[in-house]
Amino acid sequence: MTRLQIEKTKSSPEIDFNPQTHTHRILGESYPENTTQFYDPVLDWINSYLAEGYEGEMTFNIELIYFNSSSSKILLDIFDMLDETKNDKIRVNWIHDEDDEAMEEYGEEFEEDIKHIKFNIVTK
Amino acid sequence: MLNQSLYSYKDALDKEGIIFTFCGPISHDIVEGVGITLKSQMQESDVQRTTAMKVFAIFIEQVQNVINYSQERNDLESDMGMGIIVVGEHEGKYFIIGGNKIKNSKVSTLESNLAELVAMNRDELKAFYKQKRQYNDNDDSKGAGLGFIEMARKASEPLTYSFEKIDDEYSFFSIEANI
Repeated sequence: MTRLQIEKTKSSPEIDFNPQTHTHRILGESYPENTTQFYDPVLDWINSYLAEGYEGEMTFNIELIYFNSSSSKILLDIFDMLDETKNDKIRVNWIHDEDDEAMEEYGEEFEEDIKHIKFNIVTK
Repeated sequence: MLNQSLYSYKDALDKEGIIFTFCGPISHDIVEGVGITLKSQMQESDVQRTTAMKVFAIFIEQVQNVINYSQERNDLESDMGMGIIVVGEHEGKYFIIGGNKIKNSKVSTLESNLAELVAMNRDELKAFYKQKRQYNDNDDSKGAGLGFIEMARKASEPLTYSFEKIDDEYSFFSIEANI
């Protein structure tokens, strides 16, 4: 499994998924021109990664300043994929600025539908 | 000649409180460039961060709607859509208006969807947003079909919209969000 690294642009976030450290992150802003095209490799990577069945702790740090409505749909797809593993060694850290209430609420809305994995809302 | 009346045109826009307006082919470069300019402009004029982010978020949804759904484009596969975007401020309130041509055959569905949306309260909007995000059955939608709901949730008043018939095939659709 190779590391997935995508540099951030003005409208797409930095992606750094690392199968050696098992700490992964999505960082920045997300309103790409073509959401599906941007996120397809990301979703494919997660699929293959989960299929490998790593048994230790896995962390996904999501630190977004802004995401548009179609990115929101993709984020839900990602969380669904993670949650479907029913593996409580998977942890999502939803990281937002202390004074960013909107981002905190978005986090809470995702959290409401997560049943198995750990979902933490973290201020920085 | 338009160049001689350009000042009066600008003056008219200023009097309406218009911060920014764009009319023509809208591409992703506009989304990025103007979005960032808009954010910096509001930060410089000490607009509250929450308000600035709401204006930015609605701007993005409005512009991406024009790009994805305008029926006025060079060809069907074009990454640009023709339309108009207006962002302004009046008595401390921000307005973001988007407009583009749509097919007459799409008017009634869009109109009833929007009527349903503007009648919803905050909790209903949230539930509808989550339901739409989970079960996306709108094949016609290039995005997640969530844009209008997102706009309605960010706006501080119900969205207003209108349809004006242009000819037998097209209507002009416009939608406004206030913050």
